[in-house]
Formats: sequence, C-alpha cells, structure tokens
Amino acid sequence: MRYALLVMGAPYSHQAAHSALRFAQAIIRKGHHLDTVFFYHDGVHNASILMSPPQDELHMRNAWAELHEAHGTRLEVCIAAALRRGLLDASEAKRHAKTAHSVEAPFELTGLGQLLELQRQSDRLVTFAP
Amino acid sequence: MTITAATADLLVILRHGPYGSSWLREGLDVSLVAAAFGQKVSLMFLGEGVLALMPGQAKGAPGQKATAPIIDMLAMYDIDRLLVCSDDLQRMGLQADELCAAVEVISGENVSAELDRHRSVFNF
Amino acid sequence: MLNPQIYRYLDVQKTIALDPENYLINMKQWTPNVAEMLAEQEGVILAPEHWEIITLARNFYQRYEMAPAMRPLVKAVATELGAEKGRSIYLMQLFPGSPAKRVAQLAGLPKPTNCL
Repeated sequence: MRYALLVMGAPYSHQAAHSALRFAQAIIRKGHHLDTVFFYHDGVHNASILMSPPQDELHMRNAWAELHEAHGTRLEVCIAAALRRGLLDASEAKRHAKTAHSVEAPFELTGLGQLLELQRQSDRLVTFAP
Repeated sequence: MTITAATADLLVILRHGPYGSSWLREGLDVSLVAAAFGQKVSLMFLGEGVLALMPGQAKGAPGQKATAPIIDMLAMYDIDRLLVCSDDLQRMGLQADELCAAVEVISGENVSAELDRHRSVFNF
Repeated sequence: MLNPQIYRYLDVQKTIALDPENYLINMKQWTPNVAEMLAEQEGVILAPEHWEIITLARNFYQRYEMAPAMRPLVKAVATELGAEKGRSIYLMQLFPGSPAKRVAQLAGLPKPTNCL
C-alpha cells in the first residue's frame, strides 16, 4: 500500500513524532511504500537543523533525514506553519530578510495544497498528533 | 448501517475552541486551502470546537488573531455546511440559533454517517 | 538592530520601510499616496480600476482580518463590482503575475500566507 503520514507534534514535547517515526519504519519493513511525511502544526519543529539533543537521545531531524536517504520518503513541511514558528530555509530567510535559516534538504517547505494532494494520492494518510 | 458512496469531498473536524491553542486556526486554514483548490468542504464542530461559533466574540483576542472573522469568511470560500452535534450544544448550554453562523444540527449517531459521506476526513 | 527585516525605504526621507518583497513593514503607514509610490516603483500608474480593487481588498481585510486570497477576491469582486469584473482574467490584467499578492502589497495588507 502507498502510505503518507501527517505529523503534528513537536519532537521531545509529545510522543506523536516519535510514534510516527516508528510507524514509518514498521510499514516500510512490512514492504509498504511510504511516499511522504507531511509536517504541520507543531510538527514543523521536526525539520529544525538546529535541534541539538544530548548524544544519548534520538536526533529526530536526522532520523527523518535517514528515512529519506534509505527509502526516498519525501519530507514536506507546511510553509505557513513553519514561517510562524521560525523554521525557514535559505530562500525564505532571504525573502524575509533574516540572517539565518533553520531548514535544509531533504526537508522541503511546501503549501497545504500538497497535503490535500497527498490525501488524494495515498491509500492511507495516517495522522500523528498530540 | 447502510453504506453509501461518499457525496462530498472533505470533512474537517474541529475539536478545539479559539485561543487556547492554534488547532482551530490551523484546522480552518486547511479547510480554506481545500476550498480554494475547489474541493467541497464541510466542517464539523465537535466538543469544545462548538465554542468557535460563540456569538459576540470580540475582534482580536489578547495578542492573538481572532478566529471569528474566519468563520464569517467561510461563505466567501463557498464553505456553507457547518455541522454541530446536538449533544455538544446541550453540554455547552448553547442553542443553534444563537451561534454566529448558520449550522446544521446533527445527532450523536449521525456523526459516523457524516464520516461515511465524505471522501476524506481531517481531524483537528 | 531592532528590526532586521527592513530591506530598504520607499521614500527619500527614510520613514517608510519595506521588506525585500516591497511590502510595508508597518501596515499603519499605508496611505493612498503610499500605494501610488509603491505602484510607481513598478512603473504603474494607478487607474480608477486599480483603486476599486485596492479599496475592496482593504475593506475585506477590515471585515475578515485576512488579505483576500485569489478565490475569495474573485468572489468579492463579483459580488460588489459585478460579474464582468469578478473574473480572474480581469484581475490578472490589472495586477499581472499573482493578483492576490500584488493587491495585498499595494493595499498595505499582510503578505498572503504562501499556501492560501
């Protein structure tokens, strides 16, 4: 089956993102295809390249990036939710005259229209929210 | 239960009141985008979500943008089917005709029928 | 710097600050004259046809606290100015590119969020 996930919880604050990652790994192990993980609401914090957890804790941003590396899963972030919360890639930082950015590939800033498109194309869209 | 084919595109369930969190606002944002892309959208206000329709909300809550103007704007996006569950109205001590938008009141049993009627559902 | 967003100024006196996309940093500074200066930078002189849309967008914002995206803009124009003008092609002619963004910029409204 073709799956997509909607993640709406911030890492280290709520279980949602951590469960989503484990679910993602499980469905792939079972032979399903995971097209995209879409981050909305506080889930956008998963994309922060600046997150710096202690070495003995899971690095959520890198864990998502590894999922992309290994399985080609797209990591899409709602741009409106992200900008409000200070998550900008280099081009948005420039557009808003900011001196730094916090989102880099493989995460992509995209519109909510993309989430609706995912729902249309996937066999299952599974939501993880706090 | 009879299973009928989905007759509308998208159902967005809103379970949070204004201001306590951004769930209501960001749920409404998804609804507006879907409508802007031409989908037929229904909204279902459940539990505390009914408070989004409270009459007499002031413009702009302290330090936050209000959601009442978005409710007012739904018609501009042709979102005209707003569902409210009768149990929730009763629990909140509200009457359908005092809410700030025209709603369709459904019984608790009909909530699941509405889920079936829509091709897809988002839950906020 | 208190506001590092400031990219440049619209006026020589440096009182009206703009961001990199020529949106006002301080929405309260908008006046019809500011709109004319903003248009002038792009080599456009605002005609009455532009003004009725700009005014409509400002009223929309007053009422709904949101700059109109394309779909509600078309609908609002159709309702208030008639079906002939309430078409995206008409708005595209007046405000080439992305009418919703362009109108918001000239009307001194917030940048429409990218996904609407």
